[in-house]
Amino acid sequence: MSDKNCETGHAEGAVIKVDNVSYDYRSGEHVSRGVRGVSLVVNRGEFVVLLGHNGSGKSTLAKLLNGFVVPDEGTVTVEGIDTRDNERIYELRAKVGMVFQNADNQMVASVIENDIAFGPENLGVPREEIEKRITWALDAVNMSEHRKRSPNKLSGGQKQRIAIAAILAMYPDVLILDESTAMLDPKGRAEIMETIQRLNKEKGLTVILITHYMDEAIAADKIFVMNEGRVIAEGTPREVFSATDKIAEAKLELPVASKISAELRRAGLDIPFALTDEELTEGLCGLK
Amino acid sequence: MRIKVEDLSYVYSPKTPFEKVALDGVSFTVKEGDTVGIIGSTGSGKSTLCQHFNALIRVTHGKIYVGDVDISSKKTDLTALRKQVGMLFQFPEYQLFDDTVAKDVQFGPLNFGFDREEAARLAAEAIKMVGMDYDEVKDKSPFELSGGEKRRAAIAGVIASKPSVLVLDEPTAGLDPIGKREILELVKELKKSFCKTVIMISHNMDEIAANCNRVIVLHDGKLLYDTTPEELFADPEAVARTDLGYPHSVHIKRLLEAKGVKLDTAALDADSLLEALKRRYCV
Repeated sequence: MSDKNCETGHAEGAVIKVDNVSYDYRSGEHVSRGVRGVSLVVNRGEFVVLLGHNGSGKSTLAKLLNGFVVPDEGTVTVEGIDTRDNERIYELRAKVGMVFQNADNQMVASVIENDIAFGPENLGVPREEIEKRITWALDAVNMSEHRKRSPNKLSGGQKQRIAIAAILAMYPDVLILDESTAMLDPKGRAEIMETIQRLNKEKGLTVILITHYMDEAIAADKIFVMNEGRVIAEGTPREVFSATDKIAEAKLELPVASKISAELRRAGLDIPFALTDEELTEGLCGLK
Repeated sequence: MRIKVEDLSYVYSPKTPFEKVALDGVSFTVKEGDTVGIIGSTGSGKSTLCQHFNALIRVTHGKIYVGDVDISSKKTDLTALRKQVGMLFQFPEYQLFDDTVAKDVQFGPLNFGFDREEAARLAAEAIKMVGMDYDEVKDKSPFELSGGEKRRAAIAGVIASKPSVLVLDEPTAGLDPIGKREILELVKELKKSFCKTVIMISHNMDEIAANCNRVIVLHDGKLLYDTTPEELFADPEAVARTDLGYPHSVHIKRLLEAKGVKLDTAALDADSLLEALKRRYCV
């Protein structure tokens, strides 16, 4: 069955397929809702953003994608591998790398190159090959000159770039970032956004970004909006943010430029719906 | 409660190879009623500065007065100081520890010498103040709460002893838009009540511009600017030096100005920008 999925998956360019998946957290008697009836497809090379308020099910969905938890109902497949397939779970986790909020919790070694080597070593990659991967991964995040240094003197943004490099060294198909910019200052956030957008465009890496920053979502090819464990909207940033009622339902906020352009349109001004500050300005200057 | 900082310097691991100057001759005064934003990139000294206010880091060089009390003195009554200056750390939900929310929030008041009954009353008050249903959450484990609720429970623990100064280190980091808004609303409510003075570290310029009447900009441990959000964000050179960028509303105003459109607002929040745009365009 997985072979067949694999073929159709490739034919459609799908890397990840989530089919009618539900999952609840259980501890003893206590059940708390994770996700309900979620179906979605992530295609190769896409930059996907997951939006939703705290507790909407975004992180649960992310954990389902790399088999950290498996569905109660429905199926998740990555490159045709069912996440329930215990025999292929390590193969699967090498395909879907995750970077979390706090890079400090993800560092394992006292020298950066050893930290990067940790993942491929565990995958049994030969030493020479690991050397190549370290060079490539550090170059991909523009941190080559730090190779022999200790990670604890780095800035927050630099640490997150090392965390990303450590994942890249496992040659993943998909990179998931779960609020990886939440602890960073604006410069650090910009560094990470620049890095992942470049990896996505130049190396064709599939990226799934979970964020509360609406301006990070604007860069996406596709946004999924989650609420109460379900996907309640999906589409391009323009499609999703112009559905202002869905954004309100999901208890999210519009980007500032979108909010202002929506209000001005409501007040009768003939300007296009804007996603960015620049678009809003252009729209207003187009008025005479 | 006024806070006066005079020529404050602080060095981590002095006289070792790891020596790092975190603060370098910082002086400013926070007046009662101020909401002061402390901004600067990572490593600029913001957290080091703020940890001085309730003597988590003792003054080693310079002076700090909280009200009339010189907290640089070794004789400072630290319990009294910490009751007066509440401190909320980054990601405070990681510090929740007790088996029920009520007990967790009572921890502060009990440490400050309130008896059990009084501590329970203060905790109940604080939990209500942060917008949670006391009867519903009091016996819950803090770990059963959602992310936003955990943050608010942690804040309840800090405000239960009714500090007159609140120091907040990135209070909204990691929260969703609604969670952010709730925290900032709560700060406004506290200011109307017992906590007149607020010092807030944030990386979010939208938040700083919309909520603070003053900003202190730190850079490499030095005080770069002590000004208002209005003046700071009207000064491109200053903004460039801080590395932090503009609030969105100010950015939009500046883009329009570059195209020759003048607006009669400092545009410190989206609403004032929107009103100015309506005045300009919707006649």
